[in-house]
Amino acid sequence: MNALQVKNLTKRFDNVVAVNSANFEVPEDTIFGLIGRNGAGKTTTIRMMMNIYLPDEGEVIFRGNKVGQEFKDRVGYLPEERGLYKKMKVIDTLNYLAELKGKSGKAVTKKAYEYLERFDLKDRANSKLEELSKGNQQKVQFISTILHDPEFIILDEPFSGLDPINTNLLKEIILDMKKEKKVIIFSTHLMDFAEKMCDHIAMIDNGKIILSGALKEIKQKYSQNNVSLNYTGDISFLDSLPFVEKVENFGNTTGIRVKSNDDTQNLLRALLDHNVIVNKFDANEISLHEIFVSLAGTEVEAVEKEVKK
Amino acid sequence: MINRRVITVIKREFKEKLLSKAFIISTLLIPVFMFGILGLQTVFMSIEGDDGTNLLIVSESSEITSKLQTELADKDYVTEGKYLLTYKTVNEGSRDEIIKENKNDLLGESLTGVIYIPQDALEKKEIEYYSKNTSNISIFDNLRGPVNSILMNIYFQDKNLNEDDLVFAQRWVDFNGFKVSESDEIKEEGVGNRILSYLFTFLLYMSLLIFGSMMLRAVVEEKNNRIVEVLLSSLHAKELMTGKILGNTIVGLIQMTIWLLPVMVVISSTIFVLPPKFTIDLTMGHIGYLLFNFFVGLMTYLGLFATVGAIFDNEQDAQSGMWPIMLLIMIPFFMSFSMIKNPNNSMAMIGSMSPFASLIIMPARMTLVDVPAWQIITSMAVNIGTLSVIFPIAGKIYRVGILMTGKKPKLKEIIGWIKAKN
Repeated sequence: MNALQVKNLTKRFDNVVAVNSANFEVPEDTIFGLIGRNGAGKTTTIRMMMNIYLPDEGEVIFRGNKVGQEFKDRVGYLPEERGLYKKMKVIDTLNYLAELKGKSGKAVTKKAYEYLERFDLKDRANSKLEELSKGNQQKVQFISTILHDPEFIILDEPFSGLDPINTNLLKEIILDMKKEKKVIIFSTHLMDFAEKMCDHIAMIDNGKIILSGALKEIKQKYSQNNVSLNYTGDISFLDSLPFVEKVENFGNTTGIRVKSNDDTQNLLRALLDHNVIVNKFDANEISLHEIFVSLAGTEVEAVEKEVKK
Repeated sequence: MINRRVITVIKREFKEKLLSKAFIISTLLIPVFMFGILGLQTVFMSIEGDDGTNLLIVSESSEITSKLQTELADKDYVTEGKYLLTYKTVNEGSRDEIIKENKNDLLGESLTGVIYIPQDALEKKEIEYYSKNTSNISIFDNLRGPVNSILMNIYFQDKNLNEDDLVFAQRWVDFNGFKVSESDEIKEEGVGNRILSYLFTFLLYMSLLIFGSMMLRAVVEEKNNRIVEVLLSSLHAKELMTGKILGNTIVGLIQMTIWLLPVMVVISSTIFVLPPKFTIDLTMGHIGYLLFNFFVGLMTYLGLFATVGAIFDNEQDAQSGMWPIMLLIMIPFFMSFSMIKNPNNSMAMIGSMSPFASLIIMPARMTLVDVPAWQIITSMAVNIGTLSVIFPIAGKIYRVGILMTGKKPKLKEIIGWIKAKN
């Protein structure tokens, strides 16, 4: 069952197509990652999913109906650029944002104090936001995202600008939410992170969804006949081997695609025969980063593509 | 359109504004400031800047000279030493000689001026003033009366008139205003209503400026510190705007009511008796209309200010974008002041029923003249109509603008936002 279904979503700004007929699904009980480079269209997509932006075309379906207020009430949103009212007291801020979601009363205030205690902020409840350090302001913002007990949590580039302590804190929150079977949607340009956290992903590049689905299936599909290699030595001879289809340098690792599954053994043998020192040889393994680069090119290539246009 | 979320926003705005220092200070200080300005104006008017005036009064008749000397001797400006007057009687036609004689003193300003009273002043009532600066009106104002009275005395003394006749001849005509209204009694009117119309004009103007610029700053701040994105994940932009505007308008209405409280007490009770000169002829209906008019008008203006705030993402740019609205406030403000001199002019009538201007002009006009009911109803309808046109447009611009950062949008783009279907 899909919690959210994004259908043909398109948004233009001044004739620039920010999101170009995007299609993907977010299933129930998952951590969903929207992955792409900066400026690929992630924030615009997320804003349309929450009905902050109206799409020029397409729609977002939430459990069978178009997204609207009902969805907004059930979502907790942490935007990439964070901010709260500077002159408002911490506890007032938390109560106000929860009340906008339809949750008010003593129970909410009590819960707010519980969170503040958990995040070591209990003694700051009556301080103004501007009196808090930046890290503590971020903590207050995390609490405001989850205080109303949302079913959905949408985090836009959640780790940008966080210190290591808050990064861990946020990870903890995400995992807690996962345990509680909430749907977590986040956007990120950090592939490693997405790979570790997500069940489902959608990759976006230049406003277009270039790949989406369950991470496991995607990796299976792309890892067939793929070898991920770390080595020292010269591997230029590989290009002349008949069973090697493609050699790609991803920086940290080199990805090699062979013609059939049996050829992986031949590849290893050939490497050893040519005195290449093999540090890591991972058959049927491919990283999300590798998939992304093979689909969208590296950052450098993307810039070149852009220039050619 | 008013739902749970809008009410939540209203509550926050209300609480934040009502308990703010700015509210308390402006509620107390604006009236003080206003009366301060009136007081200052009086003080400035009384400072004529003619201290140390040194005048030579030359006349071609010794009778005029001596009488003038007696007449002026006990004037304040002479006894206080502000004016130093010297007198001289000369033969007819000595004008050029006198001027020549005193030219250096006049140019060096050790002598402020020469007043030359020719013999024929007794027929033509024309006297001459020679000075480096002939636009010193306060000198003319101070001397015109005494000189006139001397000339009249001399002129009539051979005509067998007694003292009473002279006093009568010299008296100014006084206009006493009596206001005729629907009711049967005809009341002599003092300056009370005129003062009130100043008061209304000024308070409405100040309130619009204060609440407008507060709204502008608040919207720019929300946009700048990105809280707006968090808010919009909970409610629609129009709900946010409506809540903010209503919250602030209610606070504005409370402040206006506090300011008008003394007026209401005076007109609705007999505890305070004003001196007849200051009697106020006003009903609670007037005040009720003013407050209603203000509520609708403030909402309209706050919509405009919120829109400007949403278009720009820093305060400097927003200040420059505010000018068109400032004109909408300032033009009626000045119209209202000019109307106080002649409340029946057609400009005032049109202004009091025009969009944006009605808010400021109508309450002042109503205190000065009996405005026909149809005009009051028209002005209410115009105000509500303006609000209902402005609000949706403001909402559209606000909705798009509030999430735009970076470059300033062009007018064409903003029109595009208004035209957009959603």
